[in-house]
Amino acid sequence: MAQNTGRARTGKTPSATRRLRLGLGLMLTLLLVVGGKLFLVQGLDVGGMAEAALKNRLKPIELPAERGSILDADGTVLASSVIRYNVVVDQTVNTNTETFPRLEKVDGKDTIVKIPRDQGIEELATVLGMKQDDLKAALTGTSRYYIVAKDIRPDVEDRVSKLQVPGIVTEGTSKRVYPNGSVAGGIVGFLKDGTTGQAGLEQTQDAVLKGTAGKRLFEIGADGLRIPVGVDQFTPAVDGKDIKLTLNSDLQYFAQQAIQSQKDKLSAEWGIIVVADAKNGNIIAMADTDAPDPNDPGKVAAKDRGVRAVTAAYEPGSVEKMITAASAIEEGIARPLDKFIIPPTYTVDGQTFTDAFEHGTEKRTLAGIVGYSMNTGTVMVGQRLSKEKRHDWLQKFGIGEAPDIGLPAESKGILIPADQWDGRQQYTVLFGQGVAQSTLQTVRAYQSIANDGVMLQPRLIDSYINPDGSEEKVPAKPSRQVVSKKTAKQVRDILESAVTEGEIKDAAIDGYRVGAKTGTSESPCDDGKSGFCGYTASMVGMAPMDDPRFIVEVVLQRPKGSIYGITNGPVFRSVMSQTLRTYNVEPSTGKPVRLPQYAK
Amino acid sequence: MSTAAVNSFPVATAATARALPGLQPGAPVRKSRTPLSVVRSVPRKRRAPFVVMCFGILAVALMAVLVLNISVSSAQYQLVELRAQQSTLTKQNQDLTQQVQNFDAPQNLAAKATELGMVASTGKGQIDLSTLAVTGKAKPAVKGDAAGAVIAAPAVAGQVNVVPSASRNEPLLNRKPAAATPAAAPTVPVAKAPVVRVPALSVNLYGGSVPAPAQKVPGK
Repeated sequence: MAQNTGRARTGKTPSATRRLRLGLGLMLTLLLVVGGKLFLVQGLDVGGMAEAALKNRLKPIELPAERGSILDADGTVLASSVIRYNVVVDQTVNTNTETFPRLEKVDGKDTIVKIPRDQGIEELATVLGMKQDDLKAALTGTSRYYIVAKDIRPDVEDRVSKLQVPGIVTEGTSKRVYPNGSVAGGIVGFLKDGTTGQAGLEQTQDAVLKGTAGKRLFEIGADGLRIPVGVDQFTPAVDGKDIKLTLNSDLQYFAQQAIQSQKDKLSAEWGIIVVADAKNGNIIAMADTDAPDPNDPGKVAAKDRGVRAVTAAYEPGSVEKMITAASAIEEGIARPLDKFIIPPTYTVDGQTFTDAFEHGTEKRTLAGIVGYSMNTGTVMVGQRLSKEKRHDWLQKFGIGEAPDIGLPAESKGILIPADQWDGRQQYTVLFGQGVAQSTLQTVRAYQSIANDGVMLQPRLIDSYINPDGSEEKVPAKPSRQVVSKKTAKQVRDILESAVTEGEIKDAAIDGYRVGAKTGTSESPCDDGKSGFCGYTASMVGMAPMDDPRFIVEVVLQRPKGSIYGITNGPVFRSVMSQTLRTYNVEPSTGKPVRLPQYAK
Repeated sequence: MSTAAVNSFPVATAATARALPGLQPGAPVRKSRTPLSVVRSVPRKRRAPFVVMCFGILAVALMAVLVLNISVSSAQYQLVELRAQQSTLTKQNQDLTQQVQNFDAPQNLAAKATELGMVASTGKGQIDLSTLAVTGKAKPAVKGDAAGAVIAAPAVAGQVNVVPSASRNEPLLNRKPAAATPAAAPTVPVAKAPVVRVPALSVNLYGGSVPAPAQKVPGK
């Protein structure tokens, strides 16, 4: 019995174990094979299958950054980017498709209608506003990519897409639009290829406006839907900053219309109006004649596409007499009511000076010299200053120093060192010949007188607005005291007397006290050869004189006709009164200053 | 095999005790044999509920995956749809904003005002309410005064002229979006006003009377 059981054990049980072991071994081998393959495929990726598959699924998308807008002081948009579409055709597809199906509502039911190619083209031509034959020619051919129409609006694009014309696709593009057109067109500037600035602020502020493009990388399935659990790398685009200017577009328009009318009336070459706030240096309007419409800058001549108020340096003429008077008063060598005996012509160092009007020997005050714009008297006053002093005073008033307001090609004017002045120039600089400056430089000099002798640098860019809406104010540049407060007041009185008692009576505005100075200078010919080609007529002034708030300068280059009959007074008056009204400036209080023009 | 069964198993009794194989020197080595015993089988478990449960869990898991999948993909479709809606609204908003800006441009505003017969005033006066002082001489604006130079309207591509020269229609009429044109009719249940039957034109004017401006064809 014992043996039996022993035999049974050796005979039967081992076979089961062997079977088990065999099975287990087989399983393990299979597992090893499968596991090995799995490791090869998943772990080592032999043959790059996973990589290829991932590559197939991954889709990178460039996220374009939106170009910042340019706004005026009230937030009126002067430049912004909008979505536009290009209609593109795959000509091979369109040419070879004679009919195409389209889902249409027929008697209230959705039915698939077969549309012949010509009908599709006719409908598309209607939507795009093209001639049917032109469109047909554009759609026929072998090109795989042909632009049929550019920059169409989204609602038109919607209609185009609904037509389902074979081969026709629409591509989104960004387009720069300038809703106010030529109002501040030169200042805003324009782009050269739809992305890069070429003129004006669009050029100088390109880096700020542009922003940084972002990127998105994600996995997409064959059905065109994103795989939710797949790779998703997202680098957001950083939109460009908006630029807020100090301009007031309504006043800018008003000034542009005013100077354009004046230019047309007097057949001048060009004209400028600058309106500036004396309290903070903000430029409120900077008008040019024939300003470009940035939507289509090619319509105006290339020379008109800039901003002449900063680019054009010209000899300012008598407006410079204010600087001579201010420096003489500040140096203590003359007072507004000092007596000067002025002969009909005045000769010094062999140089003879005359005035624009004929007169006998007159007894004048300094106020009268400025009020009647007498070259003779100005030289008599100014020669009390040394040559270097004259140069330094011009320099102190910002002549030869370019204002930096962020526009291209800002002129610093021409002020040559005093030791290079010739015998006549050393006296002519006293009344604004032999020295050149831009309109904005003149405005800046008058601003320092209006602002109690403190010269503020003009500002055009008020702030940058970040994409998140926060505003970065552009800090004011350092100011400087040019003359004392007392001198500034005396010079203002002289300027006001020029309007109340002097020659510039047509600058007066009812209800407001105004101070102004005219300037008429001979304008050298553009070809650079000797000789003069007409005059530059200007008027600069400030109001209200009890607490000057605004500076307005009107410049007209080479008006036709007799220079003595020309006045910029009405233009100055209308722009100044419009400015005062726009900013709700209270009418002047106090008695207008009337300094006697003749000495007793 | 339970512990109790092992314990109750009679390993050996003293009387029948057999000498252990290795302890008998000289005795032939015999293979020892595992003592026999009655193996009590463990009571059979009922398998059916477990299997049912497994299948149940499997089914539930499958359903859950399916539902999850469907909801995720339908959310994706919804997302795409909402994106499309968003971009349509953005475009519409942009288009309308542009129209407003176009009408807002100073040139267009001035032109429209002139068209409506408004005249710019030249002489203005001021009244100070606190002192009742009147300054300046206000003059009524006179029609026919020289209006001054005309600054050209902004040449924004695709924007209507605010002051149309030939047509007397409101310029906005032909600016209705395509979808809104047919829907606009039933929203105004006016008692059948005499409809001016416009002869069917071959050109679709989208409710206006002036054909859209010709678009430049590149390469022409």
